Amino acid sequence: MANEIFLIRLLSLRFWPHFVPLIISQAMLGFGASGVALHLLRPRIAEKPETIFACVVLLAAPSFELAFRASQHVPFDPFLLLWNPSSWPAFALFFFLLAVPFFLAGTAVGLPLSFGLGRVGIVYGASFAGSAAGAIIALLAFLLLPTESLLRVPLGLGMIASAFVLSYPGRRISAGRIVCVILSSLLLLTRPVPISLSPYKGLAIARKLPDARTLSVRSGVTGDYRALYSPGIHHAPGLSVRFEGEIPPQAAIFADGELRGIVPRNGGRTLPDYLGFLPAALPYRMTSRPEVAQFSLRGTEGILMAAGNGASSVTVVEQAAEYVRMVEQDLAKFSAGMPPSLRLEIRREGGRNFLARGGEKFDIIELADVSSLTFSSLGIHATGETYLLTRQGIRDALSRLKRRGVLAVSGWLKSPPRESLKILNTIRAELEQAGGGAVAERFVVVRGWGSFVVLARNVPFTMDELAAAKRFCRETGFTMVWPEGGTRNPDEGLEEAAFREAVKSALSGSPAGMQAEGLFDLRPVSDDAPYFHRFLKPGSLTKFRRILGQQWVPFMEWGVVFLALSLAVSVVLSVVLLLLPLPFVPQGRREGGFPVAIYFSALGLAYMLIELTFLKFGILILGDPIRAATAAVGGFALLSGFGSAVSGRWESPKAKRYVFPGIGVLAMGGFLALSRGVPFLLPTEEWVRVLAFLAALAPAAFLMGIPFPAALSRMARSGSAAVPYAWGVNGFFSVAGASVASVGSLWIGFHGTVAVGAVLYLLAGAVFPRLGSGTLSIR
Amino acid sequence: MHSRRIVIVLVTALLCAAASPSARQADPTLELRLAMVRDQIEREGISDSRVLEAMREVPRHLLVPPEYRPMAYEPRPLPIGEGQTISQPYVVAFMTQILRLKSGDRVLEVGTGSGYQAAIAAKLAGEVYTVEIFPSLADRARRNLESLGFRNIFLRQGDGYYGWEEKAPFDAIIVTCAGGHIPPPLLRQLRNGGRMIMPVGGPFMTQNLVFLEKNADGALSQRNVLPVVFVRLLGH
Repeated sequence: MANEIFLIRLLSLRFWPHFVPLIISQAMLGFGASGVALHLLRPRIAEKPETIFACVVLLAAPSFELAFRASQHVPFDPFLLLWNPSSWPAFALFFFLLAVPFFLAGTAVGLPLSFGLGRVGIVYGASFAGSAAGAIIALLAFLLLPTESLLRVPLGLGMIASAFVLSYPGRRISAGRIVCVILSSLLLLTRPVPISLSPYKGLAIARKLPDARTLSVRSGVTGDYRALYSPGIHHAPGLSVRFEGEIPPQAAIFADGELRGIVPRNGGRTLPDYLGFLPAALPYRMTSRPEVAQFSLRGTEGILMAAGNGASSVTVVEQAAEYVRMVEQDLAKFSAGMPPSLRLEIRREGGRNFLARGGEKFDIIELADVSSLTFSSLGIHATGETYLLTRQGIRDALSRLKRRGVLAVSGWLKSPPRESLKILNTIRAELEQAGGGAVAERFVVVRGWGSFVVLARNVPFTMDELAAAKRFCRETGFTMVWPEGGTRNPDEGLEEAAFREAVKSALSGSPAGMQAEGLFDLRPVSDDAPYFHRFLKPGSLTKFRRILGQQWVPFMEWGVVFLALSLAVSVVLSVVLLLLPLPFVPQGRREGGFPVAIYFSALGLAYMLIELTFLKFGILILGDPIRAATAAVGGFALLSGFGSAVSGRWESPKAKRYVFPGIGVLAMGGFLALSRGVPFLLPTEEWVRVLAFLAALAPAAFLMGIPFPAALSRMARSGSAAVPYAWGVNGFFSVAGASVASVGSLWIGFHGTVAVGAVLYLLAGAVFPRLGSGTLSIR
Repeated sequence: MHSRRIVIVLVTALLCAAASPSARQADPTLELRLAMVRDQIEREGISDSRVLEAMREVPRHLLVPPEYRPMAYEPRPLPIGEGQTISQPYVVAFMTQILRLKSGDRVLEVGTGSGYQAAIAAKLAGEVYTVEIFPSLADRARRNLESLGFRNIFLRQGDGYYGWEEKAPFDAIIVTCAGGHIPPPLLRQLRNGGRMIMPVGGPFMTQNLVFLEKNADGALSQRNVLPVVFVRLLGH
C-alpha cells in the first residue's frame, strides 16, 4: 500500500497526476498475475510452499526500489504513445517493471491463502491491516522524508517482513536468506536515485534554462515543491501588449513538477507594474480598497497584484502548508517579504471548507487559472475532481460576497472556448436559481489576446463600474465581450467573433443553450460528478475521427481517451491471463470455474467502485486528495481487515444471507448520509470530518471484508483447487474496477457508481451458494 | 527493440543519402514532401505559392532528431529534445503565410528549436535572425542549417526574450515560446508596418495563433487567427 501511494507521488512528479493512477492500476495487474501464476504452478509450489513463500517475501523487499529505478531508464513518452507504435514496447516494459513488486506482494498474500499457511480470515485480515498501516505510514513518510527517499519505506518494511522468514520451519536460520537481507539492506546505503522527469514537465524545462538554480525544496503531504530561479524565467500570463515596462527577475515554484506560482524579486518592496496589465487585474479597477479572497497561493504574484491595485486585505486559502512555508520563509529574502500595505492572512484549509465556514464577506473572490496555458488543453485534467467549480462550489463562493462583491474567474482561452463558457453556464445556473431577475446584467466578460476574466455578482453592475471596466480595456487593449456595446477589436478575427457569440448565447440564450450542439459538454457540473474539465461528449468522437490521421488535433480530450485505453488494456489483459489456465484444466472439471469467475470478479469490481467513490468524495470532505486517499484506503483496509478476521463467525447460511444485501444497503446509506451531510460537515474541524468520513464508510467496509475469505473457506472445505485462480480473478477485476470507478464517476456520478457496486455485491451474493459445488482444478 | 533500431538506422541512412545534391534526382523523401504539401497544407487552405514552394524545398526530415525522421512528413508535431517540439507542417506554413514575408525582409525568430521554421522563412526573406535558449538545440540547429547551405540564417544561443537589439528593427517576428505573454522588448524591436506571430499553447498543442501588426504610426493591433483546419472541425 505504501508503495502504491508513493508511486502516485513519484509518477505525478515524473508525469501528470491524473494520468498516473491509470499507470498504477495497470501495474497492479501484477496482483492478478500472481493468482494465475500460483494456479499454474500449483503442483510445484505444493511441494515446498513455505520455501517459495520465503523467497517471494525476500525478493519483494528490494523490488520496490529496484523496479522504480529500472523504470526510470525506460524511454517512455506518453505523448508518443498515441500515434507511434514503436513506443509501445517501451510502454509495456515500463508497466512490467512497475508491476513486479505488485506481483511479488500479491504472491506473498495469495500463497498462504492458497496453500493453507494460515487461517484464511486471519491472513486476509492481516493483509488488509497491513494496507491500512501502509497508508498511515505513507502519510508520516511524506512529512519526514524527501520525495527521492520515499521508496526507502517499503524497502524497510519489506526487510522487516523478511526477518520473519529467515528461518526454516524447523527454526534453523538460513544463510542464503541472510545474504538476501544483507544485499537488500545495501540498497539503504546507496544514494536515493534522482527522479527523472518527463521532458515536457515545466520543472524539467526550467532546470535546463541557463544559470538555473534551485532556491528551495520542500515536500509534504500535499506535494513536492521546488523553487527555481533563472534569468530565463519570464512569466506574465496574458500580459497586455500595451505594457512597455520591464518584468523583474522571477523565481518559479513548481508543485509536482508543474508551475504553481511566481515570486518576483523584491516584489514585497517594489510592487511590479506589470501586474496591473493582466486580465485578472480587472475587478480591482472596479472597486476601491477591496477586501479580497484568493483561492490557492500563486507564489506572491496574486498578493502583489492585490496590493498593487489598492486592496486593503487579502485572505489566501491554500491547503499546502509546505508551499506556504516555502513562500513565506524560504523565499522571503528573494521576494523581500510581503507588501506592508495590506493585511494578509493565509488560511491553510480546503477551499470548500473555507467557503462553507461562513462569516467574513469579501469585495472580490478570485478563482484564477481555471484553465492552464498548456496541458488542460489536452484534457489531461479531465478526470480530476474540482469541487470549487461545481454548482455547489460557486453557490458557496457567491454566498461569501458582500452585497456589491464580485466573483472573478480567469483562465486561458481555448479554441473552441470551453472553460470560459462552462464557468459562465455554472454561475448563470446558480444566479437563476437564487432568483432576483436580470441575470445577464450581473456579468462582465473581458478577453485579452489569449486569456479571459469573468466577473459575476449577486446584483447588477452599475454604470460607473461598467465605465471603469471599459477604461481598463482601453488602457490594456483588452476587449469587453459582455455586456455588449463595449470596445470591440476592430481587427476581430473568426475566433474572437465566435467567442463573443458563444458568450452572448451563454448569458442571454435560453437555459437549454447550455446543452447546445457542439463538440464539447459545457453543462455545469455538480458535487456528484465534479469534473469541470471533462468536456468530451461521446457524440463528438465521430467528428474527431473524421480529422484524425489528416491533421494533428490538439484539443482531443486525451485524459478521457487514456482512461478508456486503460480500461480496455486491463480488460483484455485480464481476460487473456484468466483464460491462460484453462488449457491445463481437464474438460470434466471446469464446471465450477464460472461461478468462481463471476463471484470474484464481482467482488473485485464492487470493492473498488465503492472504495474509490468514497475516496473521490473524500477530497471534498477532507480538502485534498492525499488526505482523502489515506482516510479512504486506510479506513477501508482496516475495517475490512476486521471483517475478514471475524469472517469465520459468519458461517451460518442465515448470517450469509444478510452480508451481501447489508453491504449494498450500508454502502448506499453511508454514501447518502455523507453527501447529504456536506453542508454541515464542511465547516467543521478536520478531526470531525475525518471521524464522520470514517463513520460513513465503516459499516459497509467491515462487511466488505467478509465475502472474500468466506468464499475461500467454503471452496477449501469442498476441496476446490481454484483458490489461487480466485485470487487472480479478484486481482484483475480490482484493477479494472479502478478504471470503471473513474468512468462511472465521470458519466453517471458518484451515487450511481456506488449503486452499481451495491448491485454487484447482490450478484455475488446470488452466486455464493454455488461456490464449491464444482472445482476448477489442474490436478 | 533491436529490429526497431535497425529500421531507424536504415531509414535514417536512406534519408541522409537522399539529402546530398548528387542524390537529389533520386530523393526518396521528395515524394513524401510533395505529398505533405499537397495533402496537409495546400488542401487545408494555404495558397501562397512561395510558401508552398519553400515547404517543398526544405528537407524537414534532416532537421528533426534521427529517431523521428521516418515520421518527419506526418501531420503532427514531433519531439526535438529539451521538452520542445517542431510544429506540425501545417502550422509552420500557416504562420509563414500570414507574415507575408518579402525577399528583402529581416526576420527575427525567438526559439530556433529544430531550425525548420527559420529555414522556411529564410527561403522567403532576406535575413533571418534566430535565437535559441537551449545550447543543445542551438548547436544542432546550427549544424543542420549550415549543412543545408543556408547563408542568410544567423543563429545565436541566448535568451530570445530580449530579441536581438543590435539587428533591430525587424519586419517580421516569429515567437515560438513566449511563456504566456508577448515580450515587451520584442514589440519594441518590431518595425513600424511589421508583423508578429505567436502560437499559444504548450508542446504538441498549438491552439491559437496571435497575430500582431504595428502600423505606420507604431500603434499595435492584434487578432487571433484560427488555423483553417480547426475551423473546419468546428463546422464553421
